[in-house]
Amino acid sequence: MNTVVAGITYRALLGRRRIFLLLLLPLALIGLAVMLRLFGGDDPRSAVLLMEKFAIGTMLPLLGLIAGTGVIAPEIDDGTIIHLISKPISRPVIATTKFLVAASLLAVFAAVPTYFSAWLLVANEEGLAVGFAVGSLFAGIAYAAVFLLLGIVTRHAVTIGIIYALLWETLVGGFVQGAQKFSIQQWAESIADSISDSPFLQTQVTLGFAVPALVIVTVVAVYWSGRRLRAFSLTGDE
Amino acid sequence: MSEIYDIGYRHYDGPRLGRGYSTRALTLHSLRGIFGLGRTARSKIMPFALFVIMLLPAVVSIAMMALIKQRGMPYSSFAVTMQAVVAIFLASQSPTVVAPDLRFRVLPLYLSRPISIMEYVAAKVVAMTVALFLLVAVPLTLIYAGELLIDMDGPTVPPQTKEYLAAMAVALLLALLLAAFGLAISSLTPRRGLGVASVIALYLLSSASVPVIYATLASADNEEGAAWAWLLNPFWLVDAVQVWLFNTPAAVPEGGYPPGPAPAIITVVLIAVGLGALALRYRKAAAR
Repeated sequence: MNTVVAGITYRALLGRRRIFLLLLLPLALIGLAVMLRLFGGDDPRSAVLLMEKFAIGTMLPLLGLIAGTGVIAPEIDDGTIIHLISKPISRPVIATTKFLVAASLLAVFAAVPTYFSAWLLVANEEGLAVGFAVGSLFAGIAYAAVFLLLGIVTRHAVTIGIIYALLWETLVGGFVQGAQKFSIQQWAESIADSISDSPFLQTQVTLGFAVPALVIVTVVAVYWSGRRLRAFSLTGDE
Repeated sequence: MSEIYDIGYRHYDGPRLGRGYSTRALTLHSLRGIFGLGRTARSKIMPFALFVIMLLPAVVSIAMMALIKQRGMPYSSFAVTMQAVVAIFLASQSPTVVAPDLRFRVLPLYLSRPISIMEYVAAKVVAMTVALFLLVAVPLTLIYAGELLIDMDGPTVPPQTKEYLAAMAVALLLALLLAAFGLAISSLTPRRGLGVASVIALYLLSSASVPVIYATLASADNEEGAAWAWLLNPFWLVDAVQVWLFNTPAAVPEGGYPPGPAPAIITVVLIAVGLGALALRYRKAAAR
């Protein structure tokens, strides 16, 4: 952890237009929760629907993508990363710092609004709000690590990340049961399920698989990001 | 004593091809760029992979017609069913049309030619529209060609030419709507990654909120209001236009669209808004 690198990364992410994207999705989630409340949809069933479809299914992977790739990909694109990696700071430390920045942003922009909007709908009933907040916190950390690695490995990180989040987790996961085991979203829901005792929430993945998988994916992705950054070569654009 | 040397530079006195030619050239160049033609192999992977994914349902449809004498996907709902792939194509490729020119600040170079800023924008919109139209129209045409060749229903029943042509016309409208919005959003940032993320974020925002809004309004016994929820997603909006114009079955999981010409009016207004935003953006970008 290097505070200067962290400060620069925070400024790059929050000081530009990217912050509008980071704000747009949580605001839409809270707006939908308010709308559901106004139209009398504030029962646990529609709360679970909103959380599964929108908070975990759409907002979290997108924010993970924006924050995870946003901490490093623009610098690689610009070539300004060369100033950072030519400093006497260990490259794994740079990778870890960037990961922590992305994870903290996801906690603020994804987990907190998730808790708030679930709380708006059902208050603290059945532990839904806490369950989904904790689930999206841990899944957000994993997404930050995976998309940070993707941002270092390829220039098409955002597109590949979208294809993973949209096609693999949503479409393929819907048809092929086995694919759901390897989906960060499903791990998040399994954590949410274990905390809340709502009958409307059912998951395919057991907690015994989800938690180790989240930890392994996060640790491996951060470690591998550091390794990749150690032997990093800048290539030309397009 | 000085002397001016004639070092032999010659004036150009051949035919001048004019603005129309340069606009067409820019359109073709942008269209080739969208599919990665004339660029590195790595930038061809994404558009062609998505194109192949779009062709898969067409192949399955033809196989179904030939082997088990059943229609696969109807023409009218093809674009709606494949919307995730079309949206990814729009998000991943529309920044490649506009972002590099803004990023490397080469707009003044284009404008030093006879081309004007409006023609530049028109060329980019036409290129993206054609690319998206091809993405939807080629599989549709493939299915239609398969239908003509297999002639499943025998010579007495005419083929579904009307449905096919309706789907093609609507595909063009959809392509124009998506191109106007995709380019307007991705022209706001010179960074490609951010452009991709913005376009897909807006699409997902509209598509993921629709079922939630629909379910809420429907459970509050507000069926009429619930029907309007579908129009939040561009693919269903254009499908509603198709239902109104050509009387095709609605491609929604439940309920229907609001009747009448309202979806068509919304579509036209949205296209105008997208093109207007793009024109304003480029007027500002050119002034810099």
